[in-house]
Amino acid sequence: MRLLLLALALFATKAAAAEVEIALTEERVEVDAGFAGARLTLFGAVTGIEDPASIDMISVIRGPETRFKVRQVEKNNLIWTPGPPHAVGPAPGLYLTYSTRPVDDIAPLPLQADYHLDADYLDIAIQDHLNAPPKNPGLFRSAFLSEAEAAGLYGARTKGVSFKKNALFTIDARLPANTPVGDYEVAVYLFRNGEMIGADTASLAVNRVGVERRIYDFAHLRPVSYGIFCVALSLLAGWVASLAFRK
Amino acid sequence: MQLYLPIAEMPVDPFVVIAMGAAVGFLSGMFGVGGGFLMTPLLIFYGIPPAVAVGSETTQITASSVSGALSHIKRKTVDFQMGGFLVAGGAVGSAIGVFLFRAFLKTGQIETLISVCYVVFLGAIGILMLTESVGALFRSTQARRPVRKRRSPAWMAGLPFPMRFRTSGLYISPIPPVMLGLLIGMIGAMMGVGGGFIMVPAMLYILNMPTNVVVGTSLFQIIFVTAITTLLHAAANQTVDIALGLLLILGGVIGAQFGVRAGMKLKGEQLRALLALIVLAVCARLLIGLALPPASFFIVESAS
Repeated sequence: MRLLLLALALFATKAAAAEVEIALTEERVEVDAGFAGARLTLFGAVTGIEDPASIDMISVIRGPETRFKVRQVEKNNLIWTPGPPHAVGPAPGLYLTYSTRPVDDIAPLPLQADYHLDADYLDIAIQDHLNAPPKNPGLFRSAFLSEAEAAGLYGARTKGVSFKKNALFTIDARLPANTPVGDYEVAVYLFRNGEMIGADTASLAVNRVGVERRIYDFAHLRPVSYGIFCVALSLLAGWVASLAFRK
Repeated sequence: MQLYLPIAEMPVDPFVVIAMGAAVGFLSGMFGVGGGFLMTPLLIFYGIPPAVAVGSETTQITASSVSGALSHIKRKTVDFQMGGFLVAGGAVGSAIGVFLFRAFLKTGQIETLISVCYVVFLGAIGILMLTESVGALFRSTQARRPVRKRRSPAWMAGLPFPMRFRTSGLYISPIPPVMLGLLIGMIGAMMGVGGGFIMVPAMLYILNMPTNVVVGTSLFQIIFVTAITTLLHAAANQTVDIALGLLLILGGVIGAQFGVRAGMKLKGEQLRALLALIVLAVCARLLIGLALPPASFFIVESAS
């Protein structure tokens, strides 16, 4: 990524120099007991350009690389059952783009492919349950993409990007409630007439905090103690209930 | 309002979950059943991952059985000796159940397994209960049924180590109760139920225990077996969501109080007929889910 940006910077100086700098209002998103998704506001400034109105912008938010299993539901005699798993990924756990116009109208396909500006250009490895190349990788790839989109984890949005005065802009992004925990990368690419003229990245961390984190860590790091704790708590709750409603 | 469940890793509306707990608690208070067989499918319909639904529901069953068992212990209607053998078998059964659950969880077939188990057990029990209670409703105007004569089944006394169960007035081998406990412990661990709806008829009709100790002894053994199941699910699968469990306990406790009062207004066979219809409705809903083509033909899960 860094290399790409460096190459881009060299390339950009040749074309039409524009500098873009971005910053997130919050660099960490906290998943606590009340977490129901998060708003993410990104600020940015473009310099070295005379006419900001002619600029297009694509912002890509990528969640932590995750391995997935995709199963096809098959009719098995009388009932529908999930078939053997295909290993899909690593793929971004979240992939959202925010752009001033549809990405296809802004960037030519080779650039989209080089910079992964559309989920269709993500490199996603797919193997079947025998760790062999699957018979029908395209099917599982598109199934993964459409399920991720249905879950709100993948998507291309053309709302939320707005230019303020001069060359200042904001991007209002929204992370869904099921957004994965981990390190995120936010990138902004500037385009004019189908040419990339500048880019910048920022990073973001989504972490579990508070009681949410304590319970999760307790359950996963010390599962036996956690089990005893759960049993003790339910015995206590039952006893308290019988006291509370004693006649 | 939203509450993010730490283990299920999804936001839920806590009031909806409490209301579901209360509705099932109401029914369980009314019918005198644990309610796990209604709660677990309801949680799955609501969108809780099946594995977490099963693992967390066991905490609620433990809690609701404690208050029931305490009152039975006070009334001395618990056969501790019989309960002990049932728990011994139940512990082994629970371990087998959790092991099978884990195996199916890994192959991704757990939801199918849970649904099929439910359809088979709920279907069989619902039909039995419905025919029995409808028959009783038609007979209820006529003379009472003759009192069933109860005696120790001879073949059970013929098995090794026969002993006297004083509270139940039986002289049988402990092997049948252990096997019964094992079977129900296994089913309970896989289905997220206490198994009272199988245990009570089995105690009455297979072990020939007297009616007055059946419910207390069943509740007594459910506490221990569901506690072991909770522990094993937490240790082996990390699928016990205590936040979800506590919400269900809260709703269940409240609902049960009203349910007990409502249940007093209905006759026994009316209650059983009503419960049979509810059981069959849940069974039908699950069967439809298995038989109809799914809304989405692909399942994506993260492979951690």
